Amino acid sequence: MNRKNPYIDYGKKILIFLLSVLILSVVVFYVARLAPGDPLVSYYGDRVEKMSMAERQWAEENLGLNDPIHVQYIRWLQNALKGNFGISFKYKTDVLEVIGGRLVNTLVLGGVGFVLIFVLALGLGILCAWHEEKWLDKLICKVGTIISCIPEFWLSLVLILIFAIHLRWLPSSGAYSIGKATDIPDRILHLILPMTIVVLNHLWYYAYMIRNKLLEEVRAEYVLLAKSKGLDKKSILFRHCLRNIIPSYLSIMAISVPHILGGTYIIETVFSYPGIGTLSYESARYQDYNLLMLLCILSGAVVILCNIISQTINEHIDPRMRESEVIETTEVTEIG
Amino acid sequence: MDDRFVQVGIRSIGVPTAKKAKWYEGKPLVSMAVLAVILLGCLFCDLFIPKDPAYMDLYHANTAPNAEFWFGTDTMGRDIFSMIWYGGRISLFIGFFATVISTVIAILFGAVSGLAPKWLDDLLMRLTEVFLSIPNLLLVILLQAILGKANVLSISFVIGITGWTSIAKVVRTEVRQLRNSEYVIAARCMGAGFFRILWKHLTPNFISSIMFMVVMNIRGAIVSESTLSFLGIGLPLEIISWGSMLSLSEKSMLSGAWWIILIPGIFLVVTLLCITNIGNHLRKNVNRRQSNL
Repeated sequence: MNRKNPYIDYGKKILIFLLSVLILSVVVFYVARLAPGDPLVSYYGDRVEKMSMAERQWAEENLGLNDPIHVQYIRWLQNALKGNFGISFKYKTDVLEVIGGRLVNTLVLGGVGFVLIFVLALGLGILCAWHEEKWLDKLICKVGTIISCIPEFWLSLVLILIFAIHLRWLPSSGAYSIGKATDIPDRILHLILPMTIVVLNHLWYYAYMIRNKLLEEVRAEYVLLAKSKGLDKKSILFRHCLRNIIPSYLSIMAISVPHILGGTYIIETVFSYPGIGTLSYESARYQDYNLLMLLCILSGAVVILCNIISQTINEHIDPRMRESEVIETTEVTEIG
Repeated sequence: MDDRFVQVGIRSIGVPTAKKAKWYEGKPLVSMAVLAVILLGCLFCDLFIPKDPAYMDLYHANTAPNAEFWFGTDTMGRDIFSMIWYGGRISLFIGFFATVISTVIAILFGAVSGLAPKWLDDLLMRLTEVFLSIPNLLLVILLQAILGKANVLSISFVIGITGWTSIAKVVRTEVRQLRNSEYVIAARCMGAGFFRILWKHLTPNFISSIMFMVVMNIRGAIVSESTLSFLGIGLPLEIISWGSMLSLSEKSMLSGAWWIILIPGIFLVVTLLCITNIGNHLRKNVNRRQSNL
């Protein structure tokens, strides 16, 4: 079989990536402007109601809101390609600045959460597979099923009720206490509850996946051979079976990055945690167009990029995947 | 065992007689029963709820559970016990209706994509990917804004048209495998149209592989409704559903009224758990082989 030039392959992927982001921006731009609502409100606040028609018109012209949508879009695209994404109507500063301050918060919450999920899911999955159908396995699976059924906002409420209101151990909202923005222990204290929810919410799905993949692997022929050669259970499981499932785990975890980051949206809103999630929620509700566009494109780009990465991991590790279907998708039907 | 066999020395080796499994064995009975109780209770709630769920008894606002108000009252003085059954109707209806919408879209989209030539298929799949890459929450907020003030139908519609992608992908894969089978070609030769082939030949073959996802979609839709209503972008307070009941919870948090948060939530979680168990049962691989380990 003649191998294709890998650079052409990568070029094609980058092209598809750019094209997807472009289509995404068109879709979001149009959908956002179709939504009725007054973007002037987020810029001028309540003063809008007292404005005269002439003032309104002047304001709309000033913000470039009275042109046809496609003209607006082309102007936005031209500016965006120069790195100028416009100003946020609500915060009155460059959107990059608005996002920059909050991106770190979300990355800490989502990033650390992701690493925790990655490690814990692997551990739990192995533990369950080791004790297949024993009481420990059954217990973990049952607990996991129950917790994964709990909507994240309700779990957050219950934990706030217990730990913040009744026991008063942990703070219930924000990323830091007032005036303590640089106090690391204080920030960690504020992170505990949201982080717990992020981890609890996703952990079981991946742990269960690891367990099932391991159990499938354990039924392969080579395990019988290894066993008849006298290898013990531990080395078969860790050195043979685990090695075989790690590639598919990695690629699935690559797809799950946006899923886990997206899951923080609702959690951030419940905890009024100043991150990307609360920001995008506000921007969509109050028609802060420029901010909304950039946020959508950022998160969209992450999603598409992660898909491509996971596909590439698969193709490199498992040549059978190269021409066949994209790997199985995780069920992403819930909000977030 | 015949006597003569024993006389010549043949003994029974005790082959276990294969017992015919009863219809209910291995089925999630408890979940089915609980779900049935909740469903029937919600459907026929008019017969037994003690109070008018929409009546605001301001003298008894924020009352803890007692003999008169079994589950207490909410911040606006409505009886939570009555609201749960009454509101469950709406939550469950949204769950089912949104799933019907998303399943229909998914089957049509998946079948078109699966039967289409490669370029169209690629294009459709790319579009799905773009669609998936918009954060779901934002998409729902924007769509809801386009549709205007939320009501039961509009919110089911919004949840339905945002939740079809994963089923569509499975349908597409299945259809691609089926499209070249003889009976589909035969049907085509006889002049069957797209919908006839889809309904008569394709759907019966892929329905079992999407059944699990359809059930899980019901769960997802109920979660979405409650989350949206909780965030204040779903159903308003006047339309009673489990989600809109929970949207009062932030207020009640400060007054320590735990029953407003916990009781509707527990109903919600129990329902979701039953649906999940039934869904998992549909997916379960019954014929797992013996472990080699």
